[in-house]
Amino acid sequence: MGSVNIAQARKSYGALEVLHGVSVNIANGEFVVLVGPSGCGKSTLLRMIAGLEAISGGEIAIDGKVVNTLAPKERDIAMVFQSYALYPHMTVEANMGFSLRLGGAPKDAIKARVAEAAKMLGLEDYLKRYPRHLSGGQRQRVAMGRAMVRKPKVFLFDEPLSNLDAKLRVQMRSEIKRNHQRLKTTTVYVTHDQIEAMTMADRIVVMNGGVVEQVGSPLELYDRPANLFVAGFIGSPSMNILSGRLENGTFMTADGTAFAVPGMASFGNRDVRLGIRPEHLCLDPNGLRAEIVTVEPTGSETQVMMRLGGHDVVGVFRERVVNAPGEMLPVSIDAERAHIFDPQTGKRLEA
Amino acid sequence: MSEAPTLKRTGLPLPITIIGAIVLVFICLFPFMWMFGSSIKTLPELYTVPPIWWPETPTFGNYYKVLFESNIPRYFLNSVIISVGSTVLALILAIFASYGFARFNFRGKPVLQSFVLVGQLLPTAAIIVPLFITLRVLGLVNTFWGLILVYMIVTLPLSVWMLTSYFKAIPVELEEAAIIDGASRIGILFRITLPLSTPGIVAVVVYAFVTTWNEFVFALCFATDSSVKTLPIGLAEFSTEFNTDWGAVMAASVVMTLPIALLFFSMQRLFVGGLTAGATKG
Repeated sequence: MGSVNIAQARKSYGALEVLHGVSVNIANGEFVVLVGPSGCGKSTLLRMIAGLEAISGGEIAIDGKVVNTLAPKERDIAMVFQSYALYPHMTVEANMGFSLRLGGAPKDAIKARVAEAAKMLGLEDYLKRYPRHLSGGQRQRVAMGRAMVRKPKVFLFDEPLSNLDAKLRVQMRSEIKRNHQRLKTTTVYVTHDQIEAMTMADRIVVMNGGVVEQVGSPLELYDRPANLFVAGFIGSPSMNILSGRLENGTFMTADGTAFAVPGMASFGNRDVRLGIRPEHLCLDPNGLRAEIVTVEPTGSETQVMMRLGGHDVVGVFRERVVNAPGEMLPVSIDAERAHIFDPQTGKRLEA
Repeated sequence: MSEAPTLKRTGLPLPITIIGAIVLVFICLFPFMWMFGSSIKTLPELYTVPPIWWPETPTFGNYYKVLFESNIPRYFLNSVIISVGSTVLALILAIFASYGFARFNFRGKPVLQSFVLVGQLLPTAAIIVPLFITLRVLGLVNTFWGLILVYMIVTLPLSVWMLTSYFKAIPVELEEAAIIDGASRIGILFRITLPLSTPGIVAVVVYAFVTTWNEFVFALCFATDSSVKTLPIGLAEFSTEFNTDWGAVMAASVVMTLPIALLFFSMQRLFVGGLTAGATKG
């Protein structure tokens, strides 16, 4: 089994540095998701672990062994690509057994291992077919089977679900998670979709602009985002961020909207950014008056976009809101669950 | 109830399209029909004015003459040796050169690529003398190797360009997957890239073979001995200073055309692309 230790990993293309010293320690058997917007360097980092990209600086160790100069096949990893990358001229069986065949394993052993993986993924009936005869979800499974057959120390997934439709994506998500619980193989999973990250990960690594913004369990990141970027990236709809000033335990926006923020008196009087999650707004006849911009019912809940204190604010309510745009909606803010950030550095301020 | 409405056709009306296609096909095939018709005519019929379209007593006398009383069989064999040799050689070199151009970045790649193309642009007349001198120095005039190498030089540039663009179109992820699976570069080339490039390879083979099979000027200059002469030169031998045996020329032309026609018909199915369907994308 394998741990992955990344220490100050850097990647540059010529003069352009895209990864600025990333350090992440992944324990044996852990499911870690690298998440961030496009171009944040998450895929590059994954490809560096895989050995498809050279490491410009720092060290990457798999199972305690530095792999900086090792070829991919010597790293004992398996990778699932976004496009599946199945060999179109080989049957499903040949696709899954390809790496073992290259490794010179005996035919019976290959057949047994492929059959085992196929059984686990429900692909037994498709072994003799070609990839072009399979649906998207089946191709995705074959790609996973190809990785599983090798019994590697580490699984690497590069946005494996982005090509699937929404329903299938949810299904494959839980399938991947279930497989991980059975195999307990260390997994590094790259996605730009924070829902995927939240639902699948043991730990999430949030990346942005080539640096790690925060590492933590999904709920840690959700409940205590370390900075404005993580606060805005994790959660959907994303956290509302209000600019304003804290004075004597009261938060006030530029237009004079004010509400008490208990327990924040220790910050003194200063400019802050206040973050509040949409579900921490509630309908309250005695609350602040917000002007409705749009109402989006989803059935189980209602998302309301409104103007409050000079900001566009999204609220998610269990109640059904039937008011029309332009009307005033009285809402209150669960200020105890507000997050306070420094406006200059974007860092979280702790009471 | 009326029948289901059909979509209105766009473009030219159907009859015009069909007539146009028939005319075009007729124009293209007429020389071949004339060639075959003439090859089974007797000598007097060949010179009749107005021309007769179909001989009254078809004869295979011309074919007998070409196959048993001339050097054509020998030239046919020479042509096969030279065309197959240069095609195989050009294909092997083109595969490795194109793979390098398609997949690796190295200093001077654009310059090298344009150099390959410049080789293709030089007119035959401009390189015939230097080539002749080179071959003479190397002692390759009037040898199979001489012509094989010359034809390889002629066909290689375009082959490299064709294959490079074909290789580039194969998704890189496939090769990366193979790298992860433990394949070497050569392994990837032979197990993944080449099997997926069949239409491209076939196109190169057909191009190189047809070009060398039909080539006249180089063969005329570099192969003057009948032991290495090729078919196009052999055809010309039926024309002497005083007369031309058109019947024999036509029969030999048919013999020369057959391998090309066979090559096309057998490879036709492989030209069709779509081999990479299902590799990537959902």
